[in-house]
Amino acid sequence: MSAAMKEGSREEYRAQEERLRAVWANPAGWRYWTSVNNFQIGLWYGSAAFAFMLFAGALALLMRLQLAVPDNDFVSADFFNQAFTLHGTVMMFLFAVPIFEAVAIFLLPAMLGAREMPFPRLGAFSFWSFFLGGIFVCGSIFFNAAPSAGWFMYPPLATDKEFSGIGADIWLLGLSFIEVASIAAAVELIVGIMKCRAPGMRINLMPLFAWYLLIVAGMILFAFPPLIAGDLLFEMERMFDWPFFDVARGGDPLLWQHLFWIFGHPEVYIIFLPAIALMAMIVPTFSQRPIVGYSWIVLAAVGTGFLSFGLWVHHMFATGLPQISLAFFSAASEAVAIPTGVQIFVFIATMLAGRVILSTPMLFGAGGLAIFVIGGLTGVMVALAPFDWQAHDTYFVVAHLHYVLIGGMLFPVVAGLYYYYPLIDAKKLSDRLGGLAFWLMFCGFNIAFFPMHLSGLRGMPRRVFTYPAEIGWNWLNLISTAGAFIFAAGVLVVVFDVLRPKHREPRGEFNPWNAGTLEWISEPEENWGVRSIPIVRSRYPLWDQKDLARKVNEGRYYLPDAEEGWREGLVTSVLDAEPIHVLRVGGTSHVTIVSALSLGGAFIALTFHWWIATALAAIICFCAVVYWLWTGTGEIPEKPEKDVGLGLSLPLYASGPDSVGWWAMFITMVGDGTAFASLVFGYFFYWTIHADFTAGIAGPDAIWSLVAATLFAAAWGLMVAARTVNRRGATAIMRGLLVLSLLTTVAASAAGLAAPSSPGMDPTRHVYPAIVWTLVIWVLAHAALGTVMQTYCLARSLAGRLTPKHDMDLSNVVLYWHFLLVTAVITFATIGLFPAAM
Amino acid sequence: MRLIPTEIETLWTLFTAPVVWVAHFLVCYIGAAVYCAKPELVGLSFSAVRAGIAAATVIALSLIALSAWLAWRQWGFGTDDPPHDNPTRRDRTLFQGFATLLLSGLSFIAVIFTAMPALFLTECIR
Amino acid sequence: MGQYFSLSAASLLLASGSAGAQSVASTQSVLEPAGAEAQQIAILFWVMLSGGALIWLGVVGLLLHSALFNRRRLAEKSASRIIFWGGVVFPSVTLSALLAYALWLMPGLRPFAQASAAGLRIEVTGRQFWWEVVYRPAQGPPVASANEVRLPVGERVELTLKSADVIHSFWIPPLGGKMDMIPGRTNRLSLMATKAGIFRGPCAEYCGTSHALMAFSAVAIEPEAFRSWLAAQAIPAEGAGASGGALFLRHGCGSCHFVAGTDARGLIGPDLSHLGSRVTVGAGILPNTEDAVARFIARPELIKPGSRMPAFDMLPPDDIRAIAAWLKGLQ
Repeated sequence: MSAAMKEGSREEYRAQEERLRAVWANPAGWRYWTSVNNFQIGLWYGSAAFAFMLFAGALALLMRLQLAVPDNDFVSADFFNQAFTLHGTVMMFLFAVPIFEAVAIFLLPAMLGAREMPFPRLGAFSFWSFFLGGIFVCGSIFFNAAPSAGWFMYPPLATDKEFSGIGADIWLLGLSFIEVASIAAAVELIVGIMKCRAPGMRINLMPLFAWYLLIVAGMILFAFPPLIAGDLLFEMERMFDWPFFDVARGGDPLLWQHLFWIFGHPEVYIIFLPAIALMAMIVPTFSQRPIVGYSWIVLAAVGTGFLSFGLWVHHMFATGLPQISLAFFSAASEAVAIPTGVQIFVFIATMLAGRVILSTPMLFGAGGLAIFVIGGLTGVMVALAPFDWQAHDTYFVVAHLHYVLIGGMLFPVVAGLYYYYPLIDAKKLSDRLGGLAFWLMFCGFNIAFFPMHLSGLRGMPRRVFTYPAEIGWNWLNLISTAGAFIFAAGVLVVVFDVLRPKHREPRGEFNPWNAGTLEWISEPEENWGVRSIPIVRSRYPLWDQKDLARKVNEGRYYLPDAEEGWREGLVTSVLDAEPIHVLRVGGTSHVTIVSALSLGGAFIALTFHWWIATALAAIICFCAVVYWLWTGTGEIPEKPEKDVGLGLSLPLYASGPDSVGWWAMFITMVGDGTAFASLVFGYFFYWTIHADFTAGIAGPDAIWSLVAATLFAAAWGLMVAARTVNRRGATAIMRGLLVLSLLTTVAASAAGLAAPSSPGMDPTRHVYPAIVWTLVIWVLAHAALGTVMQTYCLARSLAGRLTPKHDMDLSNVVLYWHFLLVTAVITFATIGLFPAAM
Repeated sequence: MRLIPTEIETLWTLFTAPVVWVAHFLVCYIGAAVYCAKPELVGLSFSAVRAGIAAATVIALSLIALSAWLAWRQWGFGTDDPPHDNPTRRDRTLFQGFATLLLSGLSFIAVIFTAMPALFLTECIR
Repeated sequence: MGQYFSLSAASLLLASGSAGAQSVASTQSVLEPAGAEAQQIAILFWVMLSGGALIWLGVVGLLLHSALFNRRRLAEKSASRIIFWGGVVFPSVTLSALLAYALWLMPGLRPFAQASAAGLRIEVTGRQFWWEVVYRPAQGPPVASANEVRLPVGERVELTLKSADVIHSFWIPPLGGKMDMIPGRTNRLSLMATKAGIFRGPCAEYCGTSHALMAFSAVAIEPEAFRSWLAAQAIPAEGAGASGGALFLRHGCGSCHFVAGTDARGLIGPDLSHLGSRVTVGAGILPNTEDAVARFIARPELIKPGSRMPAFDMLPPDDIRAIAAWLKGLQ
């Protein structure tokens, strides 16, 4: 700043602030709902998830009433079965996972000193998808059409139309839709944490919450796709009679169990880790010192993330798998207790090394830990196959999982609510109500769930709508029911505390808990996250960097202005968070709602087999997404660089691994690759369970398979060449190569189609042709999407939006093609050569 | 060890040891599962499977030990104590080294746990 | 002898049912083992419970101490040591010992080196919502039954478990762990009762509407009594009052049910050849009385929602009573 500017600096500061405020402002009136700002999305996401939790909790109370006395007829068997199915489904898919996405979207940008998530519109899309899918799934119970086969949906009970009605389709399609939303959130979180931290926030200075969420988002990428693959097989069976789980035609119900639990067990840690991440923020604040064992927490988070993928078979200990297989999973299930123990001892060590202030968040946190430790210890018990043979599918497991999830997740989340509420409303929640809520919840919970250990050991199976009087479960169940209502009363106190009008209370102080991390700089009244993007030099910048808050709010750091009228943030390097370029993110838009609702419409219409409506909704969704990409991504900036303040000038455009779009594509395709790997796993699974898995059916033509693989490789080569020549400025040759590659892809797809169709493989006849066709269709669908991308690049080039210097679109599409090549080669090598090799 | 440069500037080295655990786990599980499903295909006895698991375990443990050594080196052989929270490239590197070392330790224990079934189970009973 | 025992067993169950919950509380309990497998697992549980309780007290004590009474700020280095010893070393050592104990138990808990090692094989097939049971003794003809499994005390029995529709799970808590019954697969379970008694076995995998109402009685009796009982079961029983038998056939019951020695040859519903000798009816949910049988015949869906059996309440009540009496008489 020059000396002349200094005199006018006060006005200049105000003008900057006004411009910044205008750029980040929420739209007014009903258009408020088109906002994509992370504070709004986080708040909506969180509120919706809480509402779904209350709904599922109410279902649980109905179940507890039914079970209060033996031989009760308060509700019908069918209603009870719908209720417990929805209770599990809603708590898992509509509360536990989304609430962490909500908290992350709300907190992360502020915590990392960023303005926004890297893809705010994707966040909004994720929320609207989740909201619509959630309403659809929950609403079904009011039409007596809710799924009733358990949240795990085991075939054949859930696949066979003789045993289950439309509820199963509602579950499958409604949740597939929500799974897509979760993966979208995971992409956003990974890119946000790796690339959008404030300058100077090296990975050894990152808040622990971010470490946990990075691991959790990675886990989502590997955990949700197997379920999506399973859903695909499941719905193909229900809709088109492809016999994946029908034993009469070579299918096997156990494949679903594998795919479901490969998702299902990491899911538990996907729920648990973010809650512990909240604890890792709360404990240092109230111990008034930095966390002891920062690296140990990283060890625990990463270790748990990996080990949690070696546990899935412990849900299948009673299915009759070889004992040696069970034993491996017992071993890994024991091993995962070690990082969990480390986490708990990190908190204890931090408290011992500090001076603890007893506050409502700490009360919930410590109470949650006391509960969770019981759940962890019973987890160590049921992880041992011999004990699980007795305890499996009894109330012992019901007690165990609620001790884990309520102690390890709900209590920390409530602790987080009391801790972070001042960031929403600039006021604290009531300590008196908080204390009351805690004791009601803590006592109610233990009264409700502790007796279940005993009822389980006395042989009470799960998912029973009634029980006879003579077995000795009467008192235990009555006590559980009473406890459940006390617990619910506690939850209601929390709800009341949040909802009671607080406008008469004075605005609370800034950083009321005297916390050390950056999120406490942000003011609830402002939408921009941080007034200027600071340089971070500590794990607890507010403790260690004097005057940081004041300087940030005076706009003394990066990007204090929005001269060009864009929402801007910084992209930094992964390890040392050195500034790389300026990221312009999308603002308020309808397109997110339109694409989410039309995608939802397509899924819902599919449930009811309304084919035309499905097609229409899908077309609307497709157009909306293309419009979104065309207008909102890969914009060529008006100038190559801009001054971001503090004498630093950064590029406005980046392509390849420097750009966030490239990372988003990479991460999405890792998830996509995992789903594909799950289908390949299915192929080999059928091979292992049958003496001759082809059942004498002629397999895909080896020649056509090889031709298809070769042509896909050629199309990939042409794409790589197109990117290279484009960078050299040969635009015309690039366009020619694109067209050539597109034609090759079409030819490759035709060859791929010929492979299973030339021997006349009928997918409804036996599981072998069905799984082959599934793999081929998977490749063909990806190839079709590939041609859309090629056409898009061609159009962008013709429209002048893709140039030799600005080739983000092409570079991302080439990345997609790397994955497509691997997918195609594995598929055609497997289906064409493996049967012959065997 | 000069083959592997001291300065590997990437986040991914953090995951080396857990990835070895994953590979070891999959080899053990898939190997045993395929053997128990199709014993005639392999044509060996169950003790061969156990020997295979033992061999995989030795390899995995050696790889993890190597990863631990590299991490120890990156951590400066323990010359500095945690918390490694200075805003310097050096402290960031030390932190990476220390965290990688811890993860190697956990993975080492986890691999031993995974191998333990082969000590106790001597046939494909269900 | 066998018939005498089953009658006394049934009356015992009924008597205790009316007397109060405590006296038969053990019939489905894991904690009062009456079999070799359950015994070992119960010991494992008590070991884990005592260890777990100590660990919980230690951790929560430390937590409370650090939150309430700690006035001395521990140095970072000593605090890190707590993480290392408490979070890594202690769990690693304890867990490897526990894992070794459990792995050492495993081969012995489900031993079937050879299929022929067990003298008696019982085939149980799960159906919505009842159990088809076939005894295959080493010598003699197979014997069909339903919703009740009898075992000789002190002898190892091999159970062959299948399903005809959806996944069920076979479980006799006082005898041993559960095993799923999965369509398309045949699972095996080996059990050895060590004490005589009547136990209740529930279906332990959710199988649809009336999953809660799918159970069976497991009756462990002395081997001699068992053998004479099995011999008696192999011979058709005489129903009480021939008119009931005729009505049974006339109203078409035989198209779904099998009754040995009559023209009732249906295989859709439970085998009723010796219904009168069973402890319970309706797959472990009703006491075996004429009244209960009659109620089930009239309105099965009231007693068991989702049952495949049609209601017969259009029949004259006298006919239903006669049929029930005849069935009850099939000892």
